[in-house]
Amino acid sequence: MKLLKPILSLVITVALVGFLNKSWNFGSPIPPLGKFLDPFHGFWKNAKTSEVENESISLAGLADKVSIVYDSALIPHIYATNDNDLFAAQGYITAKNRLWQMEFQTHAAGGRLSEIVGKAALDFDRTQRRLGMVYAAENSAKSMESNPIAKAMVESYTKGVNAYIQSLDYESLPIEYKLLGYEPELWTSLKSGLLLKYMAKTLNMGEKDLEMTNALKLFGKETHDLLYPDHEGVSDPIVDNTGNWKFKPVTLDSLPLAVPIELIAIQPMEKVSHEIGSNNWAVSGSKTATGSPILCNDPHLELNLPSIWYVVHLSAPGINTMGASLPGSPNVISGFNDSIAWGVTNAQRDLVDWFKIEFKDKNKNEYLSDDQWKPTRKVIEKIQLKGEKAFYDTVIYTHHGPVVFDESFHGESEKNHYAFRWIAHDPSEEVIAFYKLNRAKNHPDYMEALDHYGSPAQNFVFACVDGDIAMRIQGKYPVRRKNEGKFVLDGTKTSNDWSAFIPNDHNIAYKNPERGFVSSANQYPVDQTYPYYINASNWEEYRNRRINKLLTELTQIEPIDLMKLQLDNFNLKASESLPTFLSYIDSTQLKGAEAIAYQKLSKWDYYNNKESEGASYYEAWLRAFLPMVWDEISSSKVALPRPATYMTIRLMKEKPDLSFFDIIETPEKETVKEVIRKSFIESVAVIEKWKEEKKGEPTWAEYKDGYVGHLMRQEAFSYHIKHGGNGSIVNAHSKSNGPSWRMVVSLEKTGVQAWGVYPGGQSGNPGSPYYNNLLGLWTEGNYVKFDFSSDADKMKGKELAVITLNPSSR
Amino acid sequence: MKFSIQIIITIAACFLFQTFFPWWTMAIAALAVSFAVGNKAGVSFVAGFVGVGILWLGMAYYIDQSTHSILTEKVNKLLPLNSFVLTTLIGGFVGGFAALTGALLKQK
Repeated sequence: MKLLKPILSLVITVALVGFLNKSWNFGSPIPPLGKFLDPFHGFWKNAKTSEVENESISLAGLADKVSIVYDSALIPHIYATNDNDLFAAQGYITAKNRLWQMEFQTHAAGGRLSEIVGKAALDFDRTQRRLGMVYAAENSAKSMESNPIAKAMVESYTKGVNAYIQSLDYESLPIEYKLLGYEPELWTSLKSGLLLKYMAKTLNMGEKDLEMTNALKLFGKETHDLLYPDHEGVSDPIVDNTGNWKFKPVTLDSLPLAVPIELIAIQPMEKVSHEIGSNNWAVSGSKTATGSPILCNDPHLELNLPSIWYVVHLSAPGINTMGASLPGSPNVISGFNDSIAWGVTNAQRDLVDWFKIEFKDKNKNEYLSDDQWKPTRKVIEKIQLKGEKAFYDTVIYTHHGPVVFDESFHGESEKNHYAFRWIAHDPSEEVIAFYKLNRAKNHPDYMEALDHYGSPAQNFVFACVDGDIAMRIQGKYPVRRKNEGKFVLDGTKTSNDWSAFIPNDHNIAYKNPERGFVSSANQYPVDQTYPYYINASNWEEYRNRRINKLLTELTQIEPIDLMKLQLDNFNLKASESLPTFLSYIDSTQLKGAEAIAYQKLSKWDYYNNKESEGASYYEAWLRAFLPMVWDEISSSKVALPRPATYMTIRLMKEKPDLSFFDIIETPEKETVKEVIRKSFIESVAVIEKWKEEKKGEPTWAEYKDGYVGHLMRQEAFSYHIKHGGNGSIVNAHSKSNGPSWRMVVSLEKTGVQAWGVYPGGQSGNPGSPYYNNLLGLWTEGNYVKFDFSSDADKMKGKELAVITLNPSSR
Repeated sequence: MKFSIQIIITIAACFLFQTFFPWWTMAIAALAVSFAVGNKAGVSFVAGFVGVGILWLGMAYYIDQSTHSILTEKVNKLLPLNSFVLTTLIGGFVGGFAALTGALLKQK
């Protein structure tokens, strides 16, 4: 019995240690507290100062020594003597700063978030699996395998990432792993592929084919064409080459559009925000002070921490390039070198289709295709759930692609089987395009590089020190008949399949236009004489007009003028709609808060500057107005697309009696006048309530409440920011979307000058001062001037630290 | 006197163990120290608690000071208790129970 007490005490001690060494979930997840709080290895060790130590590391498989010089913003300048070492170093240093993000994003891409966060992510994961994200990445991995340059590049990058992963112990793990209680797995080339597909999904999945099909059925063709035109015809096309498309287009046999006639009662997938878009432009030397071209790019994406971009400088024989890279993928994506600069905006094109499938029977082993039954391929997807048994999902593949919707997934009836055809499922070699762009010296090199680029389709802007500027809208596009791709398609007829693609040399492109600049902002791309049918889920109607107006007016341009243009807060949408709004309000009848609101709106200069209150009142008004107009659409039993805001404003002016302006809930018959008045009253009430809650004035930055959130939605690692701009404004910063990277490059013959900034920091570690050191600069509208000398010695004196990678002696 | 000795040796031993081994090895160190010093059960528990608690708090405080609280402030927002308090308590309880076990083993 004497042993009872010590044994009991020992059991308690061991149980306590065991309990504290493990993650738990009591309503909210709890990290392994003992491990996490241990000041010798736990989270405390993730806290860093701004000092960075020099390191010398041996990395197996290197051919030669690589120097990585960190500058004062923690931007790595990588100096290698050959390509393979260069990419190994890029992988190593990116992982060193962004490992958790790289792995988290590839887990998200491949539908594996449930492994980390549990069942809450199951629907998301199933969506990713059913969209064939892994299938797409495997196809691109296969095409990389067969290209020796791509293969060596991706393998070297992977080697570098894994060298870093293998050097880790618990103490040096990124804090997110410690919090969630898991560890990184080894990197693979498939993961690099997944990351690019994830980007493709973000940029391609604004589609609304199911909703458009319903709208056509419910409203009829005439109303459909009124509400959802192929394009609004107001913007300057990106490329105006009227009458000069000198090629014979590929054509398809014409056949009547086969649209299934029933309504589709499927809950569609969550849409990508319309605020995802981008600006880019290049002005020729004839318009600049130095006589050299200047190129600018700002891609608009969801703003997160760690940031989607990681700035790198890659230098080796044959290459000296710098710019924004995607952590997890080799090369620079938007950047410059000693001869050229390039940048990207999304081309918006419709590269997604849904094919209605008819299975022979419930077993779904065969499906109908041109009067014959073709066999399906079934893939069993195992989704591991944190702390629970795995979930198994069977995904059926047809020749179109995977059947995303069926009765087990967002399918409200047994008949609803839709297969998903997506350009990103096709093998492609984007890494080669960027490899070549990074090394390009002139316009022919740029054109050749882009021939390797498939998806997601982008507007590639270009400028060169030799004076050329250019734009090319590059991607792999199916040849379409008129209206094809807007609606779901009959999958039982192969005549509906994507059977031909637009040849690369028929893609929209031009060089050195007379107006002295090229620009793109996600608008309709081309003049009316281009011989191919083009459609998209939405076209941008405001930013492009503002940019082109200012670029036309500007002369003797200096880089700072174009930085100002990137930060331009003029609200063209408001300037085109607010006067009409106000004309319907009888100001003599207003009292109190409504009178003040009217006055602030009347005096507003249409700039969404930080301190503007008019901007807040306008935004609140528009947010109240749009749902009131489109109540027919939001209250419909089947999913319908809401018409573009531009169309709504045009209809408000041109068709004030349109039946849609009637508010269906009320017995009265409203026209636009009543809707404008009601939404005004409602919006002022919203602002008054906001003022009461926040105990302050509704200046635009306060009202918008910009938010840069940590990828894990961890509030403690996120920031609220005060910044101007909004969606549809050149400075496209809405609450949580906006310019994710601002770059300005002056292509001077005496040496390329470049500036850039992004809302985040080079380190992904919330315990590092470099986690958010660029965020403040970005918010204030400042830029970092980049050094990118190909001579490592020129970096001397500017360096924070040097990381030396040595070939391992083994 | 033996109470202070146990605390000091616990701090030194646990510091050494934790520098080289995972966090829970400090329990082995605290147990062994308690066994060797031979205080009564209750005294041992308190000495183990105070020893490891001071060690963990001291280390955490040192890191916090040298990094200008850059991470402490953030982590405080996501833990139910202040991270210094929680770190001290967790270290303290494990150290305390380990020391108690050591003392009881010696007394048997």
